Amino acid sequence: MAARIWPFLKLATKVTIAGGAVYVACDSGLLGSSEQGSEALEKAKAAVPPALEEWMKYFGLETQLPSMPKIEFSPVKSWNSGVRWTISKLSEAPTKTADYSNQGLQYVKDLIK
Amino acid sequence: MSEKELGRKWDRCLADGVIKIGTGLGLGIVFSVLFFKRRTWPISLGSGAGLGMAYANCQNDLRAHYLRHRGEKEQEQ
Repeated sequence: MAARIWPFLKLATKVTIAGGAVYVACDSGLLGSSEQGSEALEKAKAAVPPALEEWMKYFGLETQLPSMPKIEFSPVKSWNSGVRWTISKLSEAPTKTADYSNQGLQYVKDLIK
Repeated sequence: MSEKELGRKWDRCLADGVIKIGTGLGLGIVFSVLFFKRRTWPISLGSGAGLGMAYANCQNDLRAHYLRHRGEKEQEQ
């Protein structure tokens, strides 16, 4: 009798797990609008350090993990400063080229003299 | 749309995209392991569906600004 019920039990367990996963995903707003999605991301980011601490304590590795250094790197700022640098170099280029070519000519003239 | 608002919308779009692709991937993995004997196609389907949802959300979000103003213009006329 157990052998006949076992496949159904397996299927029921699998359906429960899959259904639970889908329910959790829909319920926590992961599949909703952009605002819900970014809210969920903020909640997850805020919940990671305490959860990590708890896990560390549980395993007795309290002082193992060094604190995450606050990385002040901003790709937006780097990109913007890169754009500004490029454009300023491009605007200076004609003047600088004229200067360097004049200097070069002067040097050659001095050599010829 | 002001620059600031546009920047905020793009930030939301990216965050939302990451979440939806991750969720799709996760659900795809769950289904692949449980029902489809660890084949790859549920995973690809899940992450693709997540990407599509994120794209649609982003599109609606960026267009919403212009749709609202169009409705007001029609009311004025």
